[in-house]
Amino acid sequence: MENSNETMSVHGEIFINGASCISPQPTFDNTAFLTEVKTHASNKIYAVEPNYSMYLDAIAIRRMSRIVKFGTTAGLMALKDSGIENPDVISTATGYGLLEMSQRFLQDCVASGEGIVSPTTFIQSTHNTVSANIAIIIGCNAHNNTFSQKGFSFESTLYDAFLMMQEGAKKILVGAYEEVGEFNYAAMLQAGELKKEPCNNLETFHYNNNGCILGEGAAFFVLENEKRANTYAKLIGFHTFLNGDNSNFPIEEIEAFFAKQGIETSAVDVVLTGINGNKQSDNVLQNGIEEIFANSTTAAFKHLCGEYMTATAFAFWIAAMMLKTNSVPDVLVLKNANRKPTTILVYNTYLHYHSLMLFQNV
Amino acid sequence: MRVFIAGKGTISAIGNNCTESWEALHSLRSGIGRITILPTIYADALPAGEIKLSNQELADAAGMDACTSRTALISAIAAKEALRDSGIDIKKYRTGFISANTVGGMDKTEIVYSKYLEKKTDTQLTGVVHHDSGSITELVADVLGINDFVSTISTACSSSANSMMYGARLIKSNLLDVVIAGGVDSMSRFTISGFNALMILDNKPCVPCDENRNGLNLGEGAGYVVLVSERVAKDLGKNLNIILSGYANANDAFHQTASSPDGKGNFLAMTGALKMSALQPSQINYINLHGTGTKNNDLAEGLAVQKVFEKVPHCSSTKCYTGHTLGASAGVEAVYSLLSMEHSTIIPNLRFETQMKELNFAPSTSLIENIELNHMLSNSFGFGGNCSSLIFSKTSSI
Repeated sequence: MENSNETMSVHGEIFINGASCISPQPTFDNTAFLTEVKTHASNKIYAVEPNYSMYLDAIAIRRMSRIVKFGTTAGLMALKDSGIENPDVISTATGYGLLEMSQRFLQDCVASGEGIVSPTTFIQSTHNTVSANIAIIIGCNAHNNTFSQKGFSFESTLYDAFLMMQEGAKKILVGAYEEVGEFNYAAMLQAGELKKEPCNNLETFHYNNNGCILGEGAAFFVLENEKRANTYAKLIGFHTFLNGDNSNFPIEEIEAFFAKQGIETSAVDVVLTGINGNKQSDNVLQNGIEEIFANSTTAAFKHLCGEYMTATAFAFWIAAMMLKTNSVPDVLVLKNANRKPTTILVYNTYLHYHSLMLFQNV
Repeated sequence: MRVFIAGKGTISAIGNNCTESWEALHSLRSGIGRITILPTIYADALPAGEIKLSNQELADAAGMDACTSRTALISAIAAKEALRDSGIDIKKYRTGFISANTVGGMDKTEIVYSKYLEKKTDTQLTGVVHHDSGSITELVADVLGINDFVSTISTACSSSANSMMYGARLIKSNLLDVVIAGGVDSMSRFTISGFNALMILDNKPCVPCDENRNGLNLGEGAGYVVLVSERVAKDLGKNLNIILSGYANANDAFHQTASSPDGKGNFLAMTGALKMSALQPSQINYINLHGTGTKNNDLAEGLAVQKVFEKVPHCSSTKCYTGHTLGASAGVEAVYSLLSMEHSTIIPNLRFETQMKELNFAPSTSLIENIELNHMLSNSFGFGGNCSSLIFSKTSSI
């Protein structure tokens, strides 16, 4: 593995040896890959939660907030999926943090005149609660990080994984989690950032009005530097950049990334884009992608999971599953080039945060 | 590959920059006192380390709008000082800003939220647009003119130690040349209420590492260092001679808000940092303790320290000057450690009276000057079992 001497551009071989995804779709069972798709008739969509009792004890299930439950469980699921009990690194991400508990604590105490209240909601409002919970449950004393940087949150964990691998870490758990918070929903609604209701998620790209659908979810992955029997796919490169002017398609950044990867853009079978229902930015993205990747299948994912800061983790899961199952579910496809998925580019955007992740089958 | 320290900047209750902070430390002047800026019912009950500048005054100093979150304002002041101190023209290098904080723009959110709960339909909710931790970092990166990479770490009270490690690793792996790394937190009612609910706040100025310690005082502040590659260090031609020689992040994996009785995570963080720097414990000249003043932290940390060090070197907690600045503390204390190294001076604990009965060592209680400081360890431990240690070392100049 090596960096490519470009700013924040990584090239190497990172094997995805375990995966889990809890999302607004029934995705928590990796044996099915979007065979069933859920329609949510709202501009905020919630995760379909699994039965937690296999992963968490009854007290934890009662006490934990939703995000802590589905975040922690997704982490434990990915570990179980990989057969690894105790990783060398746990690195997780959340853009907004633990909103529900933050808001409940605010309500309990600050908004009620700073009275004396139970610290439980405060404890569970801390960003690193999920990462810490996983460490406590599995007894993992290793490097443990939690990132929170909008559209670079999950990407920051990938750099962390790469950097730790350079120093000899072998088994790495990365993941991200996000929840819909009522207050943030209200603020986004007021700011006109969300689709007008009535709407439903599957039609995200077909409305003429602007705005996205707010989503949530958790996805975790076990990354290693070697292939194993249960390897999903390999991540061969990634890059992040801030695009100051989203009305321009950043063609140079993308071409430079591919040049550093030593791969032709024409080798990409599927481009999975982060379009979110905002017409103007979606058009810039889609047109740019059609131009560079004229012969690739183009696909999208935010109509399934909604828009949120760590939605790339959901896309990461989709890419891994496409390569493992050698299939591209119709529900993802925008333009079908009928190519077998062997090389997949995930190109996510969250406002001006852009990230590229290149995957190959094994 | 060595990662050099090319600059530093800080703001806290004891000073608005490095010079003022050092003056306060050197004259053993604490910044802990009555809360006068933040409107809170605890103003008289709970002393804290507050920066005695209004948001307007901070905004003027930061060159930002006064309606910006206080967290971003104080972050910008310290980060700008660090960058200025380094003399680096960031346009020449691949530059990142890796910050840390625990509650982002909560100071604004809590104001808007109170109105929102009163069901005032005309409440403008735009005050929450910088609620998230990453927004604060982004606002400051914009002021600094950094757009190659930004990230934020939020691992409670160890946050900014982890941002410095991340920055150092990004440089070592040649993904960036220059990283401004550290962290920030501002006072908020949310935080005061939370720590108060946990019953770990002292209602008097705190006495870290003392047998009769009774909790911590909250504080606010920011601290950043400018980390650079060897190549950039050479380019600068300033005979830089301090490196971030070792660091480690470990998890206690014991409890969300309490340290394990023997400080396992603390031990692993310190030994991990020593291993990376290839130093023996006996080579460490000073430890900047996490030393919050809570029963639990100081005991776990103390036991871990005496397990690592056969003979415990000079040590102290500077939280008796600043209060606990949470996500900023490792950044603030890294800057203090570097100032100590520069001035060959050890800053003592304040108000210390009685050695802890479980420990075979006590912190320094008076200023020690003209002491050779080649290697300094700085500890930061947080909720969620997050334990991090950093080692700064003098090296042959480049």
